[in-house]
Amino acid sequence: MADLNKLYQAILTGDQKTAVAVTEEALAEKIDPQVLINQAMIPAMNEAGAKFECEEYFVPELLLAARAMKASLALLRPLLAERGAEPVGRVVIGTVKGDLHDIGKNLVASMLEGGGFEVHDLGADVPAEKFVAAVREKNPHLVCMSALLTVTMPAMRTTIQALKEAGVRDQVKVMVGGAPVTPDYAREIGADGYADNASSAVKKARELLAA
Amino acid sequence: MRLKLLSCEILYREMCAAVARSPHQVDVEFLPKGLHDIGGAGMCARLQAAVDKVDASLYEAVLLGYALCGNGVAGLTARSLPLVLPRGHDCITLFLGSRRRYEEYFLSNSGVYFKTTGWIERGQNLEQLGLTREKTGVGMSYEELLAKYGEDNAQYLWEQLGGYTKNYRKLTYIEMGIEPDGRFELATRREAAERNMEFEKVRGDMRLIEKLVSGDWDPEEFLIVPPGHRIVARYDEAIVGIEPAP
Repeated sequence: MADLNKLYQAILTGDQKTAVAVTEEALAEKIDPQVLINQAMIPAMNEAGAKFECEEYFVPELLLAARAMKASLALLRPLLAERGAEPVGRVVIGTVKGDLHDIGKNLVASMLEGGGFEVHDLGADVPAEKFVAAVREKNPHLVCMSALLTVTMPAMRTTIQALKEAGVRDQVKVMVGGAPVTPDYAREIGADGYADNASSAVKKARELLAA
Repeated sequence: MRLKLLSCEILYREMCAAVARSPHQVDVEFLPKGLHDIGGAGMCARLQAAVDKVDASLYEAVLLGYALCGNGVAGLTARSLPLVLPRGHDCITLFLGSRRRYEEYFLSNSGVYFKTTGWIERGQNLEQLGLTREKTGVGMSYEELLAKYGEDNAQYLWEQLGGYTKNYRKLTYIEMGIEPDGRFELATRREAAERNMEFEKVRGDMRLIEKLVSGDWDPEEFLIVPPGHRIVARYDEAIVGIEPAP
């Protein structure tokens, strides 16, 4: 029988091949995908996040765990779609206009996906109007913006302004982050939330959606 | 006046050239560029330690060869001497001579990365800060990743972590007019060609650097932090401001 603990370990240690193999085995045995997700995959990602926060894991380990998680999840997705299972939440994410730094943003996107969110990644150097269009098209619960430079941080404010002008600000929560971004700045520009690393971003996203 | 200058090593040649011509006596201490890689709070703590070491009886002010630098100076506190900081987001403002010129150039050249003498010959020693590249993964070579994570994972990490350089499209060399010859321009041209990036050379401007070390601290361009106050990020045209230190 497929070993859930083996799947948990494979994701935690970033062993994509084993994660995929165990997931395939489990599917062949008709194990409920939701059981795999809730009992092995999400706990493994939570543990990877905890290790990251206490500096036992660093960015590479977290990226590899998220990659293994995503590969397993890709196998489950058709089954989940078949039965009309809804994701935890839908997220639109991007690095703001003028800013090309995307490592942190990619990591947050991976962690959110690993946490069961449906993620639409708009990439880097994303103009405000593209965020607005994505909100209209994807109908997300959450918009996440990243900036790594103080010189591009004002684009977060203009994006929130653009969401207001388009009349869609109230239908989403907005979360911001990136090295120079602070909780004070998030409040000042009217964002709903701030997270200072990829692991806390998942927690904050869950909090915002529950609120 | 006798002034103490604490500067990022990235401005080594420019600061030395400007100090030589200053009407004042300026003592210089250069700090590692790697401070920028330890996060805003970490950088600020190291700068504060350097500020606190300055013998207040010898000087009239502490000059900072920095800008806001990703909030690396936010929280920095003036003890008994005032601090003087150029208003700017980062050192490129100092190289280009004004924050307006920097913002205009930056916003009209998407994906630009800058090179100067300091960006070529300084800042290689992350290890001296106790900061290993393994911590972030950024800057690790493919061979290092391979040894640590195996082939499949190394390939993936190489693609992911190389992302911040992969996104840059243009390499701009800022010539300050103090270079001994064309070696730095040539190195930048070579790197641009190797990485398939557009190359541009622009003329730098020493005016902000010279004003800093010459005591010409126009409040529009310089923040003066009186004793007992600290630097805050302002998120507006002024870029930095002050508040009373707690």
